[in-house]
Amino acid sequence: MQSNIEFTFDGQKMLALPGQSVGAALLAANQRTLRKTRFNQNERGVFCGIGICFDCLVVINGVGNQRACLIEVTAGMNVQTQVGSHA
Amino acid sequence: MHNVVIVGAGPAGLSAALAAAAAGAPVLLLDSNQRLGGQYWRNSSQPIESQKDQHFDLDTGMLLMNAVKARKEITVWNGAQIWSASHKDGVNTLRVLHQGEEKIINTANLVLCTGAYDRTLPFPGWDIPGVMTPGGVQSLIKGHGVLAGNKVVVAGSGPFLLPVAAGIIKAGGQVVELLEANKSWRWLLSPLTLLENITKLKEAFYYIKTISQGKVRARFGVAVIAAHKGVDGKLESVDVATIKRNFKVKKTRNVKCDVAAIGWGFTADTSLAGALGCKLKVAKDKGVVAEADSNQQSSIPGIFVAGELTGIGGAELSMAEGVIAGISAAKFVGCKVEISKAHKKRRAKKQRFADALIKSYPVKSGWLTWLKNETTVCRCEEVSVGNLKYAIEELGATDSRTAKLFTRCGMGLCQGRVCGRSVVDLVAAELNISPTDTDRISAVNRPIISPIPLGVLAAGE
Ligand SMILES: Cc1cc2nc3c(=O)[nH]c(=O)nc-3n(C[C@H](O)[C@H](O)[C@H](O)COP(=O)(O)OP(=O)(O)OC[C@H]3O[C@@H](n4cnc5c(N)ncnc54)[C@H](O)[C@@H]3O)c2cc1C
Ligand code: FES
Repeated sequence: MQSNIEFTFDGQKMLALPGQSVGAALLAANQRTLRKTRFNQNERGVFCGIGICFDCLVVINGVGNQRACLIEVTAGMNVQTQVGSHA
Repeated sequence: MHNVVIVGAGPAGLSAALAAAAAGAPVLLLDSNQRLGGQYWRNSSQPIESQKDQHFDLDTGMLLMNAVKARKEITVWNGAQIWSASHKDGVNTLRVLHQGEEKIINTANLVLCTGAYDRTLPFPGWDIPGVMTPGGVQSLIKGHGVLAGNKVVVAGSGPFLLPVAAGIIKAGGQVVELLEANKSWRWLLSPLTLLENITKLKEAFYYIKTISQGKVRARFGVAVIAAHKGVDGKLESVDVATIKRNFKVKKTRNVKCDVAAIGWGFTADTSLAGALGCKLKVAKDKGVVAEADSNQQSSIPGIFVAGELTGIGGAELSMAEGVIAGISAAKFVGCKVEISKAHKKRRAKKQRFADALIKSYPVKSGWLTWLKNETTVCRCEEVSVGNLKYAIEELGATDSRTAKLFTRCGMGLCQGRVCGRSVVDLVAAELNISPTDTDRISAVNRPIISPIPLGVLAAGE
């Protein structure tokens, strides 16, 4: 069994398996909302799962518009819900 | 001798790489994924032998992937995202972000095997977290070992719903409903095509066996037409409708679930081919694909195209096309090699099966009646059906391009990959006209392939 990687989501401690994407690790922890839309503040999460739809956008280590379904978790990563376009 | 540069390491790209290398050409194979395999042989960081459960035929995939890794003529760049591409005077320029570094490739020779992604249709509630594509649910299992939810409704149309449902059951999840919008597995009625593609039949039964062990019964002529969220904002239930052949609703019931995986076949990813200027065309299923001649060459000499990019047909057709594209590319860079009759025969056989399948799973225009004015069409720019109607009725838009400009529909980060195809149908229906090929092709016109990475901007691009 491989050891878990620790990261945070909105300040909360989370765990991921090596090679898991941010989106997958968050879904495994039943965390489905990854962002709030710009105009209607609607909640969105992983939709296509393969980098096509841009609905899973999160802020990673301060950088916005990152696709959670593509980016692999690394130790100590600071992931936040993206609100609006995070310009 | 120049490199053969191949984009995409799925069934088509792997086959192309091996064929080109066997002919003696040095190959550079790139893919944005961290691992080889593409969509069909998507795998996780766990030992690959332990993943066979999630695949009908991972053995073939492992054979190809191991061969690619073993051949010294082939250099592999995984995690390489091509974010821009252009073609000028016979030279293709690709800008690649590889391991955090920007690299520029100039090559006269390219093989594009960029594959496809799930086709989706908008419907009320499809933007609620928990509504996903079948491919998305499957890629979470295959690539990350994660089940998206516990009670899953799998719906839409096409044979791909079978492996997705089977995969969920094998991963320990519950498929509460398996719904095929079309009336039956109609391709079973095409015995000759089936007989010559017997592995496909075996594959179908392989999935059906798992599905029946999971005590799930597939229903036909049934579709998910709306999704509802609970107080927590997450998916709580879907409206499931018995539909007519034209997809208009007969009667509806409500089904509780925490994930709905809904897809309507696939759309080819023509972004790269389009940006380079390869001629695109409208296929029989009305999807836009890259045009290929009998040697898999695109309209631009030196650029070859293979796999789902040239038409939706499954992994075996992709492999058959990939081999021919790889040989053609090797020949283009000066290798002494010819495409054999057997290669073309194999491709023709797989193509016949693909054609039979496409005919069996049409998407009928009745889906437009599922929409409400407030239904989101463009998820990125939050454009509703009502916004589009306003652009047509009040602002005078007479085609989808103008409606798009008025509303920003399809102009968000995904650049219309998700809604583009549906918007063309929606606008045409509203105007009471039939979409032209130009309408469909212009809906996939994208100036850049991937939004410019911030790091590149910061570096003074
Ligand atoms: C999510 C998903 C799951 C699927 N699962 C199945 C299944 O279980 N069974 C089945 O029969 N069929 C499945 N399919 C259908 C499948 O597409 C084909 O059967 C087969 O994988 C097609 O092979 P291909 O080589 O044409 O493309 P793909 O396998 O799609 O490979 C294309 C590759 O190109 C890469 N790529 C694309 N654009 C770029 C770029 N700009 N830069 C770098 N790399 C790029 C992608 O990362 C991808 O790895 C699936 C499709 C999808 C979208
Ligand atoms: S879920 Fe579609 S891009 Fe990440």
